[in-house]
Amino acid sequence: MAPQTPAVVMDNGTGYTKLGFAGNDSPSFVFPTAIATKGPSAGSGGSGSGRPATAQKPSFLTGGAGPGGHLSGKRGTEDLDFFIGDEALGAAAGPGYGLHYPIRHGQVENWDQMERFWSNSIFKYLRVEPEDHYFLLTEPPLNPPENREATAEIMFESFNVAGMYIAVQAVLALAASWTSSKVQDRSLTGTVIDSGEGVTHVIPVAEGYVIGSSIKSVPIAGRDITYFVQSLLRDRGEPDSSLKTAERIKEEFCYVSPDIVKEFARFDREADDRFKHYEVQQPGGRSVTVDVGYERFLAPEIFFNPEIYSSDFLTPLPTIVDTVIQTSPIDVRRGLYKNIVLSGGSTLYKDFGRRLQRDIRHLVDARLRASEARAGNSAKSGGLDVQVITHKRQRHGPWFGGSLLGQTPEFRSYCHTKAEYDEIGPSIVRRFALLGGPGST
Amino acid sequence: MSQSLRPYLSCVRSTLTAALSLSNFASQAAERHNVPEIEAASSPELLLNPLTVSRNAEERVLVEPSVNSVRVSIRIKQADEIEHILVHKFTRFLTQRAEAFFILRRKAVPGYDISFLITNLHTEEMLKHKLVDFIIEFMEEVDKEISEMKLFLNARARFVAESFLTPFD
Amino acid sequence: MLLLDYQNVLIESLLKDRFAPGATPTSIDQVVSDFDNVTFHISTPESKTKILVSLAIKCYPELAKYGAEEVLQREYGSLIVQPENGYDFSVQVDLEQLPSSDEEKTELIRKISLLKRNAMAAPFEQAFDEFASLQEQARQYTSESAPQGVREGGTVRAIHYREEEAIYIKASHDRVTVIFSTIFREETDRVYGKVFLQEFVDARKRGVQNAPQVLARDDPPLELQGIPGLKGGKGAEGGVTYVTFVLFPRHLTPQRRAEVISHIQTFRDYFHYHIKASKAYIHSRMRRRTADFLQVLRRARPEAEEKERKTASGRTFTVKS
Repeated sequence: MAPQTPAVVMDNGTGYTKLGFAGNDSPSFVFPTAIATKGPSAGSGGSGSGRPATAQKPSFLTGGAGPGGHLSGKRGTEDLDFFIGDEALGAAAGPGYGLHYPIRHGQVENWDQMERFWSNSIFKYLRVEPEDHYFLLTEPPLNPPENREATAEIMFESFNVAGMYIAVQAVLALAASWTSSKVQDRSLTGTVIDSGEGVTHVIPVAEGYVIGSSIKSVPIAGRDITYFVQSLLRDRGEPDSSLKTAERIKEEFCYVSPDIVKEFARFDREADDRFKHYEVQQPGGRSVTVDVGYERFLAPEIFFNPEIYSSDFLTPLPTIVDTVIQTSPIDVRRGLYKNIVLSGGSTLYKDFGRRLQRDIRHLVDARLRASEARAGNSAKSGGLDVQVITHKRQRHGPWFGGSLLGQTPEFRSYCHTKAEYDEIGPSIVRRFALLGGPGST
Repeated sequence: MSQSLRPYLSCVRSTLTAALSLSNFASQAAERHNVPEIEAASSPELLLNPLTVSRNAEERVLVEPSVNSVRVSIRIKQADEIEHILVHKFTRFLTQRAEAFFILRRKAVPGYDISFLITNLHTEEMLKHKLVDFIIEFMEEVDKEISEMKLFLNARARFVAESFLTPFD
Repeated sequence: MLLLDYQNVLIESLLKDRFAPGATPTSIDQVVSDFDNVTFHISTPESKTKILVSLAIKCYPELAKYGAEEVLQREYGSLIVQPENGYDFSVQVDLEQLPSSDEEKTELIRKISLLKRNAMAAPFEQAFDEFASLQEQARQYTSESAPQGVREGGTVRAIHYREEEAIYIKASHDRVTVIFSTIFREETDRVYGKVFLQEFVDARKRGVQNAPQVLARDDPPLELQGIPGLKGGKGAEGGVTYVTFVLFPRHLTPQRRAEVISHIQTFRDYFHYHIKASKAYIHSRMRRRTADFLQVLRRARPEAEEKERKTASGRTFTVKS
């Protein structure tokens, strides 16, 4: 095979799939990890058993074998009749198709659907012959090794990929932060705050390995912020408070304030400057204007003061981060505080990183002072460096990290190849050499 | 069910039922060890006579009993290259999931496609006649599945070929 | 998905995005692959409004020999710019000078997204033209009296578009023969491929009478006699298969030509795609069957008897309905 084919980087998340080629600075395709198949939707539960939508008996025998005809008219080809991504959403809106999400909570639940999702990703969107390319896939932290093996089984046996590497998303997110000017040494130690649509994870990583026991997740993420904006709009009786409007407002106007009370005062003082208007084109050609007010800074505030949104989850994000680091082994804590990396769409609010850094620093300083006081002021602490890294590639952090590592010349030597797989079998993917670790790049 | 299949399966069934009289047996070689004697094969007096039940040249079952374990190996019918590949794929797929199957051996005995290893622990935990049922059902279903897959492959190939050639029409 | 697209989806969606009214031009820099070792580079090197699409194709020297430059010149005309360093061919679109009507814009998008198809089309077009002239000449003779050149047909055009695979095209006075040599790296693929090819060969006998005739064999067909570097043949290993498509005059009419060229180009990838899709389906069957077996096996485990649980003080739990 030609040595110069770029590696394919696929980051399949719960909500969105990011597809592209290593070396690029953004994914070529970003679309929902959704698949629309014939028949009704699997419902919210999502049947894990994954029965293919085929008849029990070889129905293709009875199906007409004449020429022409549309796919749906042929029996025995149901497995080719599906759509993925945005097309799936479109198809599911019409009759006859049910929408499924093969990945739940970051892990693949339905392998049949996932296999077809991959097949379409490769042949329709990326348009590559998998035999010619190396693949870099991602997995969530704490992914069971069996899932890795199942992935390898599909990739090597169905698609004959030339070689494959599976990396942990959080580690890739750390690698992505190397583009920031604040990062001097390219270490793989740090705390990753990964906030997407469904859930926010705080993941400590030491030397490229995830500290599984200390991971914490926060049930507040992008979707909650959208809901919160929507409820504020509704409370005020705005002319349009659809989810879509709320989402647009969230993406365009929201930012993180240093202090809510002062921010309220500032809004009252500089009303003209702070209050915004958003035009909504409603179906039917009408357009209405929605006022955008305090939700500009209140919405992202739910990370820092969850009590304004939720009544059952009350721990602010900075406290969670602090707890995560405090429960990690003591010899890596300094590194974890020094390199807190943001990743995912819900960390993109202006000044999010700055606020987080300030709040965590307050917590750390308070603890240091308290321990100094307990020591009777005999021992002085040298202080602890807290640094939150914001960088340009945050939105698709894991994908970008993959792209960065996938283009390095030594990437291929870290992959398991088809030949190795055939020799040893799926268990080979239980272990991968650490890509981008000390000594490389 | 075809004419020769029924006697074949019932023969396997009675052979298995007879072979599955297992008892707990501590290892003679090492203290506090308890190993399947059919695998260890450390002393000949613990092994019973192996038995082959053949339906034809292609299909046969090897039952190797011992004092505390029985090894059952099945050779699945494979008439041509395609069936050979499909059998290979399928057995590989199953052994890959041996963890869930308790009695599935991770590697088939040479000359056979798939092997099961049933120990006294299994017969104590599970119902013996149901285990036999499982093996019999497995044998029935595997043949059916392989031929269905082959039919599928042919039908799909025809469909794919016609779909590609039709636009030229 | 049944048939593969002819166009590159990324280029298509990207341009559609940029061409939409009100879209803000942003810088792009993407290197992407397409089937058959084709690499595209989409970038905005000068300014954000000028999108440069470059194409690198392994067999470009061969294609150029068969007239690719003329075909591309005809298709893209004024869009062509000096090829970017490391690439074989470049076109540039200026967002500020787009055609005004939507149809023209769509047409432009379609054209650019078919860049690979058009580059690969040259040898086919040349062969089809040659066929037309041979046919014209052949009319003047009866089959016996035809001069050698007319009877034998033109030269074989070889395109080594992949490392070990190639397309050969040969025109004669009554047909154009297109031969794909393809290779299977894996035993499973080879066996599946054989089943598929058999159906391709048989398809004409059944429903699709007007389709091109398809032949498949493991040794080089007679048309390729004397071509250097052919693999395969009796007893040769390596899994090379030669698939021959015989296009008849009815496929070669000027009206049909463009469609036929687009379609036949996708053969190799279509073929391999479906082998893989079948494997995926068989996987899903096996998953289902495995789940069934497990269920049967689980029946062998006796139901765990529900023991009455008691607290330390001797009280029992009751189930509230």
